[in-house]
Amino acid sequence: MKTFLLRLISLSALAASAASAQTYTNFIRQVQVSTGVQWDATVAYQGTQASSLEIPIGGSRFELWTLLSSPLTSYLLDTKFVGSYVPSATVAIRTEDPYALVPRTRADRPFSIDITTSGLFSGTGSTDASKNVTLLRHVQSYGPGGTGVNMDRTQATLLTQSTISTNGTQTLTYQVTSIPGDDRTAVRGEERFSVFSLADSVSLAPASQLASQYVQIWPVARGSIEGITAGQKIRFSTPFLTLTANDLYPDSRVYAQVYKGASRLGVSGTIVPGSAAIVNDSVPQDRVIILRDYDALFTEDGQWTIELLTSTPFGIDRLASTTFVVDRTIRVNGTISTQN
Amino acid sequence: MAEPGVMRDAATHDQLVRAMQQSQQADPMKSLPNSNVADPSLNLPKDLVSQSDFISFQGAATLVPKHAILKVPAAYAACARFQEGSKILGWAEFFAANRGWITTVEITAEQAEGKAPLSDEVAAMISKSNNLIVATFKGGPISLLPSKVAAETASTKP
Repeated sequence: MKTFLLRLISLSALAASAASAQTYTNFIRQVQVSTGVQWDATVAYQGTQASSLEIPIGGSRFELWTLLSSPLTSYLLDTKFVGSYVPSATVAIRTEDPYALVPRTRADRPFSIDITTSGLFSGTGSTDASKNVTLLRHVQSYGPGGTGVNMDRTQATLLTQSTISTNGTQTLTYQVTSIPGDDRTAVRGEERFSVFSLADSVSLAPASQLASQYVQIWPVARGSIEGITAGQKIRFSTPFLTLTANDLYPDSRVYAQVYKGASRLGVSGTIVPGSAAIVNDSVPQDRVIILRDYDALFTEDGQWTIELLTSTPFGIDRLASTTFVVDRTIRVNGTISTQN
Repeated sequence: MAEPGVMRDAATHDQLVRAMQQSQQADPMKSLPNSNVADPSLNLPKDLVSQSDFISFQGAATLVPKHAILKVPAAYAACARFQEGSKILGWAEFFAANRGWITTVEITAEQAEGKAPLSDEVAAMISKSNNLIVATFKGGPISLLPSKVAAETASTKP
């Protein structure tokens, strides 16, 4: 017999984020697998406590649910199977984004998964269920414009499955996501890595989830500058510009900069006043920015470049750029003559 | 001045196609022994509502495991279901506000499993009570398996 710590910190926060304006209530249910007895622990919104109901030989399944009142719907946020002779596992996903609520990254960025297993036995006297666990990798697209809310996660695609039979930590690193999508820059969805026990022929416990974690993948931002064309000559008034940025990363900043000369990657120019917008959200955002009266930025005649940039946890991405010519010099062609 | 930092052009579709191909060829899971078990994630619990009974009163509601409600007097029959529009509360909060008509019976794990009967005293209290009665373990509602227990149980649909 053993007890199990109920850890609610991050998962409760996840429920809160999914809640938007509606009310969700969380429940933790402990199911005694061998008998079917179910018990609801009374828990605080956040924190850690030991389960009071002992875990029998057959093991217990802990389920974290959130319940929406209207329409009455329950969502399984997480589940973990615990037992005296059941291996343990943890899954942690690391990305370049320090966002704490859920691991997330972008369609062009790498991520790593740390899988730690313990309690696996070796030797001929042990059952398969005590010697091996199954590692699963699922991928699922949110679809165009999707955010994953109310998505049926049973429809995820099982991409790869492997067996782990050694205790310790294994790190898997992926250069980019494999979520399906025709346009790889527009991919949005999630990859889930799960560790399951094997069905146990002795205790009759079914294959159960020991640990699971997912990483959200958001698209690469796109942008355009309209109102000016490459090589256009600007004389005494600058044209209105429309800056359009789509799928800006949930933690990002978008702005335009100008600098003298032809387009060159990595130049730090002058930010155009009124062009900056900040995105601090849980899902990608679109922005349309109108620029006018920015003549003062051009301090001298010649070739200039305007760029639309977005700053993210991954660095600065150039979304669009246009090079044009500023020519404000007045040339008067005339002749002077005398009447001598 | 603009922000310092690594600057690059936004990745293109073609670049990401190549990156994905390389990533899939180097998939580290392929270095682990293969597994052919049926996808166990398809057997995850799908619904809490169908595994629970609801108690509602004056715009609030809570849920408890099936077979945790031991008695529903006729006067409270309408309360032993989910009333549309109710705000869902955790058990502790709901019970604190409804102690006047809900009584809890603290049981043991063995009693919950049907391995031990309720005491005569508790059975008599349940029989005589005019309140809705819920089985609890350490204060949390728990199912009382009916198969080996003589006490009256009531289970309602949400």
